[in-house]
Amino acid sequence: MTTTPIRLQEAFAEAGVTGRLHAVDIDTGAEVGVGADQPVVTASVHKLCVLVTLHEQAAAGRLDLTEQVECPPGDRTSGPTGLSAMLDPVRMSLRDAAYLMMAVSDNTAAELLLARVGLDAVNATTARLGLGRTRAVHSFREMFASMREDAGPGGAQALTDPYVIARLRALDPARTNHSTPRDMTRLLGAVWRDEACTPEHGLAMRRVLGLQVWPHRLAAGFPFDDVHVAGKTGSLPTVRNEVGVVEYPDGGRYAVAVFTRAARTAATLPSADSVIGTAARMAVEALRAP
Amino acid sequence: MRHLECFVAVAEESHFGRAAERLGMAQPPLSQRVQRLERHLGVRLFERTSRQVTITKAGTLLLDEARELLARSEALLATARRIRDGESGLLRAALPPDVAGETVAALLADFQQQHAGVELELRELTTTQQLAQLAAHDLDVGLIHHPCDVTGLELGPVLRREVGVLLPRGAPAAALPEVPLTALTGYDLVLFHRSAAPALHDDLLTTCARDGYTPTAVRHGQGASFVRGLILSSHAVAFSPKDAHPVHPPGTDPDIVWRPLAGAPLAWRHSVAWPKGRGDTAVSTFAAAVTRALRDTAALTADAPPRPLHLRPTAEYWL
Repeated sequence: MTTTPIRLQEAFAEAGVTGRLHAVDIDTGAEVGVGADQPVVTASVHKLCVLVTLHEQAAAGRLDLTEQVECPPGDRTSGPTGLSAMLDPVRMSLRDAAYLMMAVSDNTAAELLLARVGLDAVNATTARLGLGRTRAVHSFREMFASMREDAGPGGAQALTDPYVIARLRALDPARTNHSTPRDMTRLLGAVWRDEACTPEHGLAMRRVLGLQVWPHRLAAGFPFDDVHVAGKTGSLPTVRNEVGVVEYPDGGRYAVAVFTRAARTAATLPSADSVIGTAARMAVEALRAP
Repeated sequence: MRHLECFVAVAEESHFGRAAERLGMAQPPLSQRVQRLERHLGVRLFERTSRQVTITKAGTLLLDEARELLARSEALLATARRIRDGESGLLRAALPPDVAGETVAALLADFQQQHAGVELELRELTTTQQLAQLAAHDLDVGLIHHPCDVTGLELGPVLRREVGVLLPRGAPAAALPEVPLTALTGYDLVLFHRSAAPALHDDLLTTCARDGYTPTAVRHGQGASFVRGLILSSHAVAFSPKDAHPVHPPGTDPDIVWRPLAGAPLAWRHSVAWPKGRGDTAVSTFAAAVTRALRDTAALTADAPPRPLHLRPTAEYWL
């Protein structure tokens, strides 16, 4: 276990990324990490905080998860999946919007739910759960607006220019939604131990986290049919993150949070995605070693 | 300035206790400073409840300008520190090992002429070493190789040094004025060791393969004479920017020739980099001098125009 941080650093360097990781055994509290307390940009990982807030409010009776919401086509947050990519009017329940937000990282669904619960409520929830270094300073739509502004007239294409990358506010933890790897595993532990909410809501949250479709990051590190992986990714130019829980058939369950920044500015970097899973497995295996 | 620092810290931490800890001060004087600033500006910056602090709309509007002022003040302090530290002030700067001797000489001469008041302490460091020293504030400014993780840095524009190929004089491709990558088929490639810069190493090989050259074998080596030996004896080629290779002046090496690659598919890309918020006039003078020196001695060009970008759904954003 003592050499694990060095091996993790080597794996990240080999993949051309800087990586921060924290992994913890949900039941014993045994942990391993590199840069576990470094501030990191959360990007779409912050949708997990929105999900927990939504369920907390439902548990308190402040909203009904089956409540129907209208999503007209004219007012959608940009994004490549879910409601963001759809063309016609949609009406759906809050909990189905939550499913889209978690399963395909739907930015419109996330914005809609965030508007429903409020940014302050999300920060109150994370504060209540003891995540002292986690904060949402703006909505997803505002984050994309800042990127558009900082990218300038070159638009998305300019985001492969390192000079532009260095000046994006959305990539500076001091100026955008942020957390630490340790805060995120703490949140996942609370969800898995039913401390974040009632067991009924805990089950519902774990269900949608297990329905995420992306196979390329955390899940890629665990090519075992009998191992369950649930998680939420987060991505921005050069940022690739995933936080999740890995459950083994012997009952072992581990919360893992991995946050990376790639050297290359290319949008498609399979090795930077898969090292998230590789590093997570190294960490989990270290925790499982007798 | 100290008041603004308090304001920004509380805004970023959303917590008086944590902000005080970060500033290395006690909480009561921090609260007093923020209150004094609010009175001075005539604007309420935070809403305080017993459990949390939230920034007000007015606070949000002032935050960016406060940060800018602080950054300028830090730059001023950096200059002052430089003047104070040395008799004439000191700028700690770095260049990567592959920059040609003529470039270094031109840079030093130019910088001294522009900024006679500041002494330049120039170090030869790889990008990895520079990033570590910039982060630790042991280095004021450096010329880095892309790609690298630029978190926490400010950059100058990307500068492109075109890369060509070193061939044995007798190779058929040596007769061409410009060598297409496909013409290198059958040759081994001598390349720096992958661990020195994994991302750049992989990018080079991917570009070569995409343009029709998959080396029979990749041999690792970096020293000029070692590379030369492999090219002469082992049916190998190597990539090099025009300015960096000559042991002999261009065109006079009896055994090895340098040729540009057709379509300029490969380049070393650089930026001048310094820690965020610590750029001052000495740093910008250095940045301008590096750009001029590279342009004059290394046929530097502006970065290539961006290529089409097809974001896939896994990108999770769309602009």
